[in-house]
Amino acid sequence: MGLPIAQVLAPDGRLVGEHDFTLDDLRGFHRDLVLARRIDTESFALQRHGELGLWPPMLGQEAAQIGSGRALQPADFVFPSYREHAVSWCRGIDPAKLLGMFRGTSLGGWDPAEYNYALPAIVIGAQTLHAVGYGIGTMLEGKSEAVVTYFGDGATSQGDTNEAFVWAASYNAPVVFFCQNNQYAISVPLERQTKVPIAQRAAGFGFEGVRVDGNDVLAVHQVTSQALRKARDGQGPTLIEAITYRMGAHTTSDDPSRYRDRHEGDDWAARDPLLRLRLHLSEIDSGFADFDEAVQAEAEQLGEHLREVCQNLPDPDLADLFAHVYAEEPDELIAQSQEVASWS
Amino acid sequence: MELSIAKALNAGLRAAMEADPKVVLLGEDIGRLGGVFRVTDGLQKDFGEHRVMDTPLAESALVGASVGLTYRGFRPVVEIQFDGFVYPAYDQIVSQVARLRARSEGLVSVPMVIRIPFGGGIGAVEHHSESPEAQFVMTAGLKVVSPSNANDAYWMIQQAIAADDPIVFLEPKQRYWDSATITDEPALGLHESRVVRAGDDVTVLAYGPTVKTCLQAAEETEDSLEVIDLRTLSPLDLEPVYESVRRTGRAVVVHEAAKTLGLGAELAARITQECFYSLEAPVQRVTGYDLPYPPCRVEHDHLPSVERVLDAVDLAKEF
Amino acid sequence: MSEFRLPDVGEGLTEAEIVTWRVAVGDEVKINDVLVDIETAKSIVELPSPYAGRVAELLVSEGQTVAVGTAIVRIGSASEDSASEDSAGEDASAEGAALESVKSVVEEPAPAKPPAVLVGYGPSERKRRTRTGRTQSVSASSVRVLAKPPVRKLAKDLGVDLASVSADGPVVTRTDVLRHREQPPTAATSRPVTGVRKATAAAMTASALIPQVTEWVTIDVTETMNLVDRLKVDRQFESVKVSATLIAAKAICLALARTPDLHARWAEDAIDFPQSVGLGIAAATERGLVVPVVPDADRLSLVELGRTIDELVATARAGKLQPAQMSGGTFTLTNVGVFGIDGGTPILPPGQSGILALGQVAKRPWVVGDDVVPRLVTTLAVSFDHRVADGEQASRFLRDVADLLEDPARAFTF
Repeated sequence: MGLPIAQVLAPDGRLVGEHDFTLDDLRGFHRDLVLARRIDTESFALQRHGELGLWPPMLGQEAAQIGSGRALQPADFVFPSYREHAVSWCRGIDPAKLLGMFRGTSLGGWDPAEYNYALPAIVIGAQTLHAVGYGIGTMLEGKSEAVVTYFGDGATSQGDTNEAFVWAASYNAPVVFFCQNNQYAISVPLERQTKVPIAQRAAGFGFEGVRVDGNDVLAVHQVTSQALRKARDGQGPTLIEAITYRMGAHTTSDDPSRYRDRHEGDDWAARDPLLRLRLHLSEIDSGFADFDEAVQAEAEQLGEHLREVCQNLPDPDLADLFAHVYAEEPDELIAQSQEVASWS
Repeated sequence: MELSIAKALNAGLRAAMEADPKVVLLGEDIGRLGGVFRVTDGLQKDFGEHRVMDTPLAESALVGASVGLTYRGFRPVVEIQFDGFVYPAYDQIVSQVARLRARSEGLVSVPMVIRIPFGGGIGAVEHHSESPEAQFVMTAGLKVVSPSNANDAYWMIQQAIAADDPIVFLEPKQRYWDSATITDEPALGLHESRVVRAGDDVTVLAYGPTVKTCLQAAEETEDSLEVIDLRTLSPLDLEPVYESVRRTGRAVVVHEAAKTLGLGAELAARITQECFYSLEAPVQRVTGYDLPYPPCRVEHDHLPSVERVLDAVDLAKEF
Repeated sequence: MSEFRLPDVGEGLTEAEIVTWRVAVGDEVKINDVLVDIETAKSIVELPSPYAGRVAELLVSEGQTVAVGTAIVRIGSASEDSASEDSAGEDASAEGAALESVKSVVEEPAPAKPPAVLVGYGPSERKRRTRTGRTQSVSASSVRVLAKPPVRKLAKDLGVDLASVSADGPVVTRTDVLRHREQPPTAATSRPVTGVRKATAAAMTASALIPQVTEWVTIDVTETMNLVDRLKVDRQFESVKVSATLIAAKAICLALARTPDLHARWAEDAIDFPQSVGLGIAAATERGLVVPVVPDADRLSLVELGRTIDELVATARAGKLQPAQMSGGTFTLTNVGVFGIDGGTPILPPGQSGILALGQVAKRPWVVGDDVVPRLVTTLAVSFDHRVADGEQASRFLRDVADLLEDPARAFTF
């Protein structure tokens, strides 16, 4: 049984499918991919500088995130995991806002309502249930908005995720389940999580599953747009499996050399999402070199911005955190925060 | 031989697996990777994939499937990767693991060990620094222990695996890299507490990561502190504690878990019950605050520190 | 000059080994160029440079293991380097050219600030805090004495050292502490004013502002004492302590019915008459003078009055009176006779307008008819609030009480 893997742009930069993107659209994708990669690599470096406690890199997954992120309409709500740095970029969140959580100065970083983008979920799969509930909520209001939730291959084993599939099917909820199958859950390979392609599991629950080359930003955008349209039209959930590869480690605390072959990475490097679009644009866009130079300069500035903000993120005062635990602060907590404040 | 807690656990697991072929390890990333803290490093290579299993990413299934294994006569050692991820498994633990013996009127055994790295102080993101021990201590049918040092870790993991009751084994992750000498024989049983530093003025009770904090405090003060490592949280071994408090008249409990309904509350009630006439002061508690664990840049303001322990000692003495 | 300190690269690692330096002294580095490979308990990790500039000094050698937070390399900024002479003897002109061409926008060295140290791990790195909200303690004696917490508090309040108290049993009790306190001091000492003593002083001081006058009369109470003897063997009064005090209490109630002014209350521009008699009975206890109140005393039978008085006095002596039991008094009876005293000028208790002192009952020579015979005689003294009543009312009241005690049968006429 083979679900076809949607693809428009092959690794060597050739078009192998139809699309109706303009040149400006393609340039826009290129810029997004480059800046997204810079956000990721700069933040990784900041961890190695000692400025962040942790960073989960999304290196290699830029196309899956930019392609889907750019397909969203502003009113669509997103429930991410903790690795969707490029999706947050599409939502208009200053990437510096991602850093507090990993530096340890904050447990979040932005107001979800401002960006229609929930705070990152560290507990695996939890966000899928949130997304389904939100989707059901929009239906109760008679609205035509879609909800997207991002998760990895590992999350498809969690009970919460499977329960989310059941509910989404049962309620015909307008949820796009976007799975970035990056082949690993820390060290555990895909085969341990599922015996069939992830997208195929949707059929078992009663809705449509779609596979896409996750490193092809154009195909990802198409597939996601379609699923979103379907959701808004009241035709229910879709499971998108974006096949990609986690080029980096699970996080900065991980050492992939202990469980995977380094040449595996080489194969995937040839399928790099930035590379294929660069090759394509170099072919069809005569002004690409100048455009790219400007983009690289923008990336440098973005890197500097991230470093600047990160190094100056203020530590919170523990005493101030007590007021954020409840809408109405109980006396015991007021007393405890005063006790904290008595220490200096 | 000197080993870190992480390596001592590794050696203890190895010894247990060599002693009994029914001992199997399950967890996420424990096989090929050797565990995110390397506690199971090398074990899959030596014992095979059928005894050291990398499982799908599903905590409830980890514990639930292990229940099934115990029915079949195995002795599973389950690793929950971080304390904050035990909650999906909580239902299986309290509804099944804790109850099967009672439900079967003693016929069914659940000789399972659930290993959980717990506690904070490692500069981590959310969900990686929790202290959920009270939720297991209050669950009848479970036993709960926590080694504070490498020697206890080495012997207690083996004793826990050999026990026929389900045991939640809490490993202080902040101390994984602290080393100690491993003795040739275990000095204590699994469910015994220990006076780790004798003293006359104030009794200080701790377990897991705070034992070291209390020993540091004892070094720094002129007061003579008697520090007791509880080691076993359920069942508690409190006779040494009572004997100590009857002498000193003052007790301070130190734990990372939040103040309200933490183990300190239980210990205060019991000490007051048994040592009422001896008490010069109410039992003091030095604990995490009643907050969700804060962002790591301020976690040391939240966790019990040497100065907060000594402040509580002073307070106890002022009565 | 910037120092790069070894960060914690993986959730709580404490140290790492320097495996391979990827730069040498004198090398130009940009931000994020790899400086060194380190090995931790978990893995081998590349460390990128947080600073741009020239490598000035490698502070740790390959193969060395250092703790997180240790400075491992120093990197000079472009402007510093152009002024310094201590480059490591490489090709100076090439270096200089490279420095010149450094783009200030990107290669600008990190601003002067504390060196990069990772958050969160290593208690030794953390600044110690001090408590501002509490005072330092004074160490108490650590003699091991067994006593319940409330007794400890009592001892502390009274300034008694528990260790010096001799106890009847293994545990020092309240009684032990109070008994210890009664012992006369052997040297000039002072005692802190607390508890009942303090309350009494305040009440008496307030009372001194009220214009009060005392009248007295000496009477033959032989008939009352005969009545007392009869009642003592009466079955109805089995559980009651019958004494002159009880008869006097009843007499007061009857007399107040006729002259209620003596227990009315001054309220500035009004005088309030209570509905019933709240009869205070002054009692001397270990803690001092307390005045429990019999509520609605005028509505009680003699035996009920007796029982209530007994209970209240017993409770008072045990030190267990509740505040409610000491409130609502409208008139007080104080028996100074138990101390062997004839009478005095009793001071009005707070909120009351009359108080009667009953003196000792003793055999005295008395005129009966024309003979002088020994009779049981006592003195009654009443103090009253002269704002509320005059000598006439007070005298009538006192005379009524006296009449009843001289001839209890007169109660029939009240």
